[in-house]
Amino acid sequence: MPRYLLLNILGIAVLVGGWALVTETGWISALFLPSPSMVANEARKLLASGDLWIAILASSRRVFLGFLLATLVAVPLGIVIGVWKPAKAFMDPLISLLRPLPSITWIPMTMLWLGIGEGQKIAIVFLGSWIYILLYTVESTKRVDPLLVRAARNLGASEFAIMREVILPGSLPGILAGLKVTLAISWSCVLSAEMVAANNGLGALIWIAKDWGNLALVMVGMVCISLTVLAADLVATRLERLLLPWERNRRL
Amino acid sequence: MQSIILAAESVTRTFPSGAGGGMTVTAIANLSLEVREGEFLCLLGASGCGKTTMINMFAGFIQPTSGRVLLRGEPITKIEPRCGMLFQSYALLPWKTVRGNVEFGLKMKGVGQRERRDIAQRFIEMVKLKGFEDYYPSELSGGMQQRVTLARILAADPEVLLMDEPFAALDAMTRQIMQEELLRLQEKSGKTIVFITHNIDEALVLADRIAILSARPGRIKTIIENDLPRPRHVEVQLTASYTELKARVWACVEDEVMKHMESSQLAAAG
Repeated sequence: MPRYLLLNILGIAVLVGGWALVTETGWISALFLPSPSMVANEARKLLASGDLWIAILASSRRVFLGFLLATLVAVPLGIVIGVWKPAKAFMDPLISLLRPLPSITWIPMTMLWLGIGEGQKIAIVFLGSWIYILLYTVESTKRVDPLLVRAARNLGASEFAIMREVILPGSLPGILAGLKVTLAISWSCVLSAEMVAANNGLGALIWIAKDWGNLALVMVGMVCISLTVLAADLVATRLERLLLPWERNRRL
Repeated sequence: MQSIILAAESVTRTFPSGAGGGMTVTAIANLSLEVREGEFLCLLGASGCGKTTMINMFAGFIQPTSGRVLLRGEPITKIEPRCGMLFQSYALLPWKTVRGNVEFGLKMKGVGQRERRDIAQRFIEMVKLKGFEDYYPSELSGGMQQRVTLARILAADPEVLLMDEPFAALDAMTRQIMQEELLRLQEKSGKTIVFITHNIDEALVLADRIAILSARPGRIKTIIENDLPRPRHVEVQLTASYTELKARVWACVEDEVMKHMESSQLAAAG
């Protein structure tokens, strides 16, 4: 562990060091790439006024709600589709048609239906995420050992009990892995929604900063997005460990 | 006169052949068998003679192509929890603890939480796994996992226990211990057991009757009564009557094994 930690730090240090070097020496103009100190300065200003936290919280809230809604809809649906053939036949064409549509394409319609408030942003996150969660869930149900289903049936389990006691826990590792991937997608959804029409949030921050020509502020937004998603990922990993107690000796 | 609890009536089972083109493989042809209530019956035969297919039909996992399988006179048409199966690869639910697994059959029956726990605890102790209730299957050895499956199926209290070479994956010493434990449990509970094995010694130690299957397509070639005295310990393997019986069994089995080997050589030669 300590060995890798050193490499981790080294990696970041090289990036930031290189960045500082090319900008402070003026080799790359500040108009193209603000220096680390300029970015830090902007960040300090925003932290002091509290606006940075407001932005982070605003975006996080939208992602959380949209993602949660998508999970609550897509996971049970995915399990039913994975197990019940008629459901799969019914949903397959719908999924094929909806999947290629990126969340951005949903912006005009959601704006029409929901305006430009919180509801619309959450809807964008939902629409951009639910299909991926669904696909990961369906895929995960297929990985459940059919022998376990047979054994459960032999012990008297009904179809519903099979879904609850075998399919769901069996596909949980795969579902959680899919959720982690989709979380990143959810973030990109909220950012594009905020760039189009929002007065707060990290996406809006970046867009407004662009309009002002404040590149350093744009970078502040970018760094915040990275760190926030990273933090979310760490929480997700923690949660995974909690939800999968039977894998406790497999993880380190 | 013991009643017949499980029966196969002229059962035939074919499968589509891997070669395709409408060709079929006949795993079992016209197999008839009666299982007496409370007995320990071994199905003995070489690989591929249809033993697993037969036991899967008793459990209701597959249906006969022709003929009938009956539980207490009623045809078995779907998965039958009254014929509990002990799988060779344990089939323990990895996300449930030992206790969770053993309670499973009871939970499916709708038994209340406290009662479930008590009953499960009894069986966990019966298979000598006290103290491991909160362990996950991945944290147990093969022998321990097999004991959990045994406790699980016993707790579910089916009328018949079907066992598909349950000890095949264990080392010889653990297998011996498991055999003795199984005998002890069977004597205590009086359950009917249908046990598949390809190991003659195992059949001789465990069974009341040994049904020898022919090579594919499988049918019952002979049924040999095993009247070696009970309770049977490993020491019984050292007696003269054991050796005699073993020779008889081997004589029956030998040409079926040869036939099986010849047909697989033919198949391999194409």
